[in-house]
Amino acid sequence: MVHLSSFLLKTYHGGHVVIRLALGGVTNRPFYRIVAAYNKRARDGKYIEQLGSYDPLPNIHNEKLVAFNYERIKYWIGCGAHTTNPVAKLLGLAGFFPLHPMTITEAERSRRAASTEVKTDSQDLVEQ
Amino acid sequence: MAALSVARRLVKSYFCVKCVEKNVQVHLQTTTRLLCVSASRYSSVDAPKAQFTDTEVQDILSKITGLDLKKVFRPLRQQLTPPKYKLMTDTELEEAVHKAEEQAKHLLKMPPVLSERKPMNDVLAEDQMLEGMDTAKYVFTDINFNVPHRERFIVVREPSGTLRKASWNERDRIIQVYFPKEGRKVTPPAIFKEENLRGVFEQDRHEDVLNQCVVQFEPDSAEFKNVLMLTYEDIEKHGKYDLLRSTRFFGGLAWHLANGHRIDGLLVDMLQRDLMQDAVMLVRLFHLVHPQSESAQHAQRQQATDLDLLKIYAQYESNRAGFIELAVQNYEQTKVLSSV
Repeated sequence: MVHLSSFLLKTYHGGHVVIRLALGGVTNRPFYRIVAAYNKRARDGKYIEQLGSYDPLPNIHNEKLVAFNYERIKYWIGCGAHTTNPVAKLLGLAGFFPLHPMTITEAERSRRAASTEVKTDSQDLVEQ
Repeated sequence: MAALSVARRLVKSYFCVKCVEKNVQVHLQTTTRLLCVSASRYSSVDAPKAQFTDTEVQDILSKITGLDLKKVFRPLRQQLTPPKYKLMTDTELEEAVHKAEEQAKHLLKMPPVLSERKPMNDVLAEDQMLEGMDTAKYVFTDINFNVPHRERFIVVREPSGTLRKASWNERDRIIQVYFPKEGRKVTPPAIFKEENLRGVFEQDRHEDVLNQCVVQFEPDSAEFKNVLMLTYEDIEKHGKYDLLRSTRFFGGLAWHLANGHRIDGLLVDMLQRDLMQDAVMLVRLFHLVHPQSESAQHAQRQQATDLDLLKIYAQYESNRAGFIELAVQNYEQTKVLSSV
């Protein structure tokens, strides 16, 4: 277990460790590091350990590269770390967690949007 | 599974870091000893083909490769340092030469010849409800240092929702992204395409291409085997065997030719350079690889050694029988004359 009182912040009561995405990169080019940090710290500030990375822009082969250090993630979850929603969604897509319900909802919404677009397009063509 | 672990050990032993060498060499010796034991048990039942990793085959191949120190230690493109001169006694000089020979043997370690890796495409999960979530694939890698690269989890989530294991090419590329290896590029350089290889072969730079190929590809990948095959074919076509002699690729070349029943060109080249022992060992290798061939059976019946082996091979299998017999006769005459 992580004993918060033995670490730096003696006045940090009721906080917990979080596994979240820390943003890096430059303008119009985001890059996230998957990081275990105290939840009151700044988003891009000092973290306890880096557990992986996530590149949201697809590369030449149309892949979004995500890296996870599963051993260390297991350790931190065992110490009582929480995960944020984006991290939980990514882990669900990876198969490490069960699928996040919002991933399924978003997929359904995008499919519905795509089908209504097709319907309006065909209606326009018919009217013309 | 045993084959996988052996292959893994072979690959590990080939790509080892210097400080881990000794342990790994012990590993390799134990694996070859194990393989040797199983081979001898088999040969009493029927006569199967010899494998690349048998001690006898490796012995023969390393002897044919030769140990020309001047070629092994020829100046490579390195940083220029002024030469060091040492004053030594005769015994110290012998020791230094001995050490140089051992280092040369290490440099001459042959890249392993493994069977081609089978394409793998296991599907771990099919979730149709995720269809349309994204236009791009997600590739998830396990970046744990303790896991060997062959056992690393690299999975791909397609836009259709299927979660599958990554193919071998994807695996190589992604492992190079997260665990970069010196000299390897993420996408294979254009030199390994056939048109470019032809230009390189005209410049007689087979060895450089092979060195690059060994660094770039895994030894059991299709591209590695393809490049090796193209190089060997070109050398065989033009008879440029001497380019690879005393390098670590000569064993692979001899093995490839022996498997394809085409050792005539190499034999003739050896006889022209008066390398009788090498020629005899090449014929022995051929008999090990093809124990069902006529010349192998004749040789075993007569228990032939040395020059008789060459004569039997010339008689039964060879296309250039006349040249080989003539060369053997000349050698015998010169031996008789020199002894007299």
